[in-house]
Amino acid sequence: MKTFEEKWTAWLDGQLSGRELVEFESSLPDLAAAEAEKRDAQKLGTFLKKELGARALTNEEFFSHQLRERIMRETEDRPPPRSTWWTVPRLVWSGATALALFLVTTFVLMTQHNPGEQSEYLTQILNSKVDPAANPNATVSIFEIKNDNKVTVLWTEGLQSLPSDYAAK
Amino acid sequence: MQTEATPAQADVSELDLVKRCQAGDSEAFDQLVTRYRTRVFAMIYNMVHNEQDAWDLAQDSFVKAWKSIGRFRGKSSFYTWIYRIVMNVTIDWLRKRQIKAGGAEFDDAIQLKEIDPASKTVPKADPLPHQRMEQTEIRARIDKAIAQLSPEHRAVVLMKEIEEMQYHEIAESLGCSIGTVMSRLFYARKKLQNTLRDVYENV
Repeated sequence: MKTFEEKWTAWLDGQLSGRELVEFESSLPDLAAAEAEKRDAQKLGTFLKKELGARALTNEEFFSHQLRERIMRETEDRPPPRSTWWTVPRLVWSGATALALFLVTTFVLMTQHNPGEQSEYLTQILNSKVDPAANPNATVSIFEIKNDNKVTVLWTEGLQSLPSDYAAK
Repeated sequence: MQTEATPAQADVSELDLVKRCQAGDSEAFDQLVTRYRTRVFAMIYNMVHNEQDAWDLAQDSFVKAWKSIGRFRGKSSFYTWIYRIVMNVTIDWLRKRQIKAGGAEFDDAIQLKEIDPASKTVPKADPLPHQRMEQTEIRARIDKAIAQLSPEHRAVVLMKEIEEMQYHEIAESLGCSIGTVMSRLFYARKKLQNTLRDVYENV
């Protein structure tokens, strides 16, 4: 639904036609006065065009020269766009590759894990490193905690000293 | 809309020039500037009424156009696109200047309340005190009358009356609806008719 202002402007600029034109003109209380107003507005338009339309740009070439220099200066001042290797697709691929490597490594380590190895190691300490002559009161106990973590506790008591190569083990 | 293009320049389509600009060809942009510099300057001058300010704002507009030409998709004509930049730059500048000047209000907002949309306008019967106005005086009267309009109303009336742009082109340039353009045009014309009638009736 057009407002009165929109219809008036369209009528003044000759943009109304057909039924719309007839309806609008019949809605005006004084068509003759409206026509006078229209002529007056058209006169204003002609006047403005005549008086304002001739404004010329003096020194046109200097204008372009100054503009070229300014654009060149601003282009030079602007830091070059940083080329980044980390584009989004590359980030996604890198992430996926890292995850895959992690999973493969974890799988390999888990399959190579030998539960008997730890027992063998502990037995070695008990038999070869606890010398009854040097540690007459030594007692060594092993506790295995039967839970999901399969923790083995080595409890040593009465040792005079730890085997020198213990840390190396 | 007329341009300054020479026949040789006219052979090169505007879209080709725009594409070359988008590829970084500053000479192509230079050609576009040559086509539009006078009209852009005149448009801005009629808005701000000062040659140096108009020159600076025209330069700012073209620099802005060069920087953002990569975003021009060709959905509208190039001149509509450049006029949008020109209008944004100029209206922003006018608004900032208005704030710096202490917020002197453009009086179209006040005057509009006094204008009956259906008012009958009768040419002023009072004779002018002088028979003929000097050109500078006429220009001063026009500038003063236009200065009383808000930047948006100025833009609409100048684009319509001077540039002879279509409603939809003005709407695209100002980023508003066609209805808004027509409504602004209505009030801007009424205001100018009221303030300039004694001038254009007697020139």
